[in-house]
Amino acid sequence: MKGISHFVSGVMAASFCPWAVRAAAEGNPLYFILGGAFGILPDTIDFKFYRFFYRHDFYVDPDPQNPDPQAIADELARAVDKARTAGRAVRIKLNTVRMGADYWRQYIVRFDAENQEVQVRIGPVVNTGQVPVPNSEPAERKIGRARLAAPIVQTYDATTRVDIFDGPTFALEADGQGRVVLHFLPWHRNWSHSFFVGAAWALLGWLLWSWQAAVVIMAGYAAHLLEDQLGFMGSNLFFPITKRRFIGLHVMRSGDAVPNFSAVWLSCLLIFWNLYRMTPDLLYHFNFLQLIFFGAVLPIGLFGLVHWLLTRGDKGREGPVELEDEFGDTMTS
Amino acid sequence: MMLNILTVLGVTILGTVLSCTISVLPALHAYNVLGALVLLFYWLIEKGMSIPSEVFLPFMAGIVVGWSMLNTIPSILLGAPDESAMFTVLPGQKYLMSGRGYEGTMMTGVGGLAGVFFLVCVVGPFAPRVLPVVQGVLRPHMHWILWVIITYILMSEWPKGGNRGPAGLAKFADAWRSLGAGLATFFLSGLLGFILLYRSPVSVDMAFQNIMPAFVGLFAVPWCLLNMISGANVPPQRIAHSLELNGDLILRSAAAGGLGGGFAAFFPVITGGIGGLLAGHATAQRDEKVFIMSQGVSKLVYYVGSFMLLFVPGLGLTRGGAAWMMKGLYVPRSYYDYFMVLGAIAISGAVAFLMMGPLTRATIRFIEKVHYRNASLVALVIILAIVYLMTGWGGILVMIVATGIGLIPVLFASRRLNCLGILLLPIACNMSGFGQQIAMWLRLI
Repeated sequence: MKGISHFVSGVMAASFCPWAVRAAAEGNPLYFILGGAFGILPDTIDFKFYRFFYRHDFYVDPDPQNPDPQAIADELARAVDKARTAGRAVRIKLNTVRMGADYWRQYIVRFDAENQEVQVRIGPVVNTGQVPVPNSEPAERKIGRARLAAPIVQTYDATTRVDIFDGPTFALEADGQGRVVLHFLPWHRNWSHSFFVGAAWALLGWLLWSWQAAVVIMAGYAAHLLEDQLGFMGSNLFFPITKRRFIGLHVMRSGDAVPNFSAVWLSCLLIFWNLYRMTPDLLYHFNFLQLIFFGAVLPIGLFGLVHWLLTRGDKGREGPVELEDEFGDTMTS
Repeated sequence: MMLNILTVLGVTILGTVLSCTISVLPALHAYNVLGALVLLFYWLIEKGMSIPSEVFLPFMAGIVVGWSMLNTIPSILLGAPDESAMFTVLPGQKYLMSGRGYEGTMMTGVGGLAGVFFLVCVVGPFAPRVLPVVQGVLRPHMHWILWVIITYILMSEWPKGGNRGPAGLAKFADAWRSLGAGLATFFLSGLLGFILLYRSPVSVDMAFQNIMPAFVGLFAVPWCLLNMISGANVPPQRIAHSLELNGDLILRSAAAGGLGGGFAAFFPVITGGIGGLLAGHATAQRDEKVFIMSQGVSKLVYYVGSFMLLFVPGLGLTRGGAAWMMKGLYVPRSYYDYFMVLGAIAISGAVAFLMMGPLTRATIRFIEKVHYRNASLVALVIILAIVYLMTGWGGILVMIVATGIGLIPVLFASRRLNCLGILLLPIACNMSGFGQQIAMWLRLI
C-alpha cells in the first residue's frame, strides 16, 4: 500500500488506545505521532536507508541515445545463467534512462516463464508524471529476446516497467530443482517488515517513554505489515527466524487507487468513531452504523454510481508494476 | 426583494471582475485587497454610513472566488522554471514549457469551476447538518492532527538522488541531499515563523499583511530570481480549442481536490497545498490532467470553503484570513446570509471562469512579447513595490530572509511545501501549549 495508507492506519491503530485519546485531549500528541510514524516506518527504512546500501552483481545501464533492448535482454539472461550455478542469490539492477531534467526513456521487461525467455521493449520518453511525450516512441518497434538458461519461477508480476527515478532490482536464486526463482525488489519488505523488528522498536519505545508508547508503536508497525500482506509481494514477517518473504494474499496491488483510498477513508472514520466515543458531554449522538452509512456507504456509493454512469463501456487496463507504487506519489513527492 | 437580488448580482459581478483583474498581478493576495477593503468599510461606518450586508457579503465572496480561481494565471504563466529546476515544479508549469500553458491554466480553471459546484451543490446542502457534529467531536483534537500532518509531510518525501552507482555511503548521501534540504527548509521556515509570531519586524498596524512578505519570499521571489539568472526561454504557446477532458476526469478531480481543499478549509493552519498533497496521495491519482484539475479544485475549495464556513448556521467556525476579516465587520446570523453567500459563490465562479480565457490569452501575449527574463523582472519589481507599500522596510527584510529559505528547495530539488513550516511549526507548538516556552528558549519573549 501507499505511504499515506500505512501512516493513517498507524494513527487509527493508536486511536484504539484510550490513553492515546486521553493524552491528546490534554494536549499531548505523542501517541498519535508514534502511531503514524511507526505505521510508515517499515517503508521508510527500505526506501530511505536500506536500498542505498544494497549491493548488486549486475547493473543494466542502457545508452540514453540508443537504448538496445537486445543488450538488456542478454544481460538479464546472463544473470539468470549465473544464478543457476552460483549457489547464492544473484542481484541485478535495471537502471532508469534519464533523458533530461524531467524526461526519462521507458523500457518494459517481461519474463515469459512458459517460453523460458525474457523480452524487452523500448517505450516512449515520459515525464516525471509518467505521461508519454507525444511522438517519442522509437521509430522501429524492436523487441529484445533472450533464451533463459533455466526455467524461472515468478513470485511477482511478469512485466516490469522501468522509467522514472530509481530502477527495480531482481534477486535470482536457484531453487535446487533446476529452476531459478525471481524475487522482485529483494531489498524491500524483507527484514524491516518483520514483527520481531516491530517488537524491537516497541521495546525501545518502552525504554524511552512508557509501555503505552510501546503498544502504540507495535500496533502501528503491525498494521503496516498486515496491510502489505494483502498485496502480491508479501513480507518477511518473522525475520530473523524466517529468511524469505511470505507470499501475499493477492487481494490488491500496492498502487491501486480504490484499496488505498478505502484504507485511508475507513481509517479516518474509525479514528473519528474512537474520538467520538471517548469524548464526554457531546451535544450530538449517533451510532457506528449511522457513521458508516453516512460517512462511507452514501458518499462512496454516490461517487461510484456517477463514475459508473460516466465510464460505462470503458474497459479497465492493467499496467505493469513499478517501484514508485510501493511508496510515494510521483506528482507531489 | 427584486432589488436585493439585483444588488447581490451586481456587487458579486463587480467584486469578481475587480478580483480577476488583480489576480493576474504576481504576489498580490486577495487577502491584501480584502484587508484594504475592510479598512475602507470601517472608515465608512465611522463616517456614519450604513452598508447593507447585501452589498459587502457578495462583494467579498466575489473577491475570494475570483482570486482563488484566477491566481493560477501568474502561478503557471509567470513562474516558469528553466529545465534544470523543472523536476520540482507542478505539471502546470511543465505545460507552459511545452507550449501548452493555456491548456494547463484553463484546466485549473475547470477544476475551480468543479470546486464551485462541489461547494454549492454537494457541501452546501449538508454542511449545516454534518459539520457541527464533526466540529463538536474534533475540536479538542485539532493540535495533534496538525502534528500528525507535520510528521507525514516530513516522512513522505521521496529521495530524488541516489539512483545510480555502487551501494554505499556516497549513494546514501546523494539521496539524502534533497531530503536533508527538505528538513532544513521546514525547520528554518518554522524558526522564521516563530520570529514573525513573537517579534515581527513588520509593524502591528499591518496586522492583515504580517505574513505576506514571508510568503512572497518563500514562494514567489525564488522563481523570479531563478528565471532571471537562468534566462529560461518559454516556447511559443498554442491556444488549444479543446482541453480534451471528460466527465470522469472532472469527477475524479473534484473528488480528490474537494477532499483535500475541504480538509484544509476545515482544519486550522492547513493550507490548500497541504490538502492537495494529502488528497493526491490518498486517492492515488496518476493522471496528469486529474492532478492539475484537482489542484484547481483544492485551491478554490480551500479559500472559498474556509470563507463559507463562517456562514454555516450552527457551526460558528472561523477559518482563513477572509473569514477573520469578515468576522470583525459582521457576524452572520441566519440561513438568509448562508444562501446569499452560496448564490454569490455560484455566480462569481461562473463569471471568473468566463474571464479566465481572455485574461490567460492576454498574459500569454505579454510573455510572448516581452522576453521571459524581462517578464520575471517586471514581476519582481511589482512584488517588491507591493511588499514595500504594504509593509515597509520591515517587510522587505522579512521577504529577503524568506527568499533565502525559499531558494533551498528550488536549488536542492526538494519539496517546496516544506516552506509551510513557517505556519505549521509555531502554530502546532502553540496549540499544544509549549509555543511560548520555545519562544523563550529562542529569546523572542
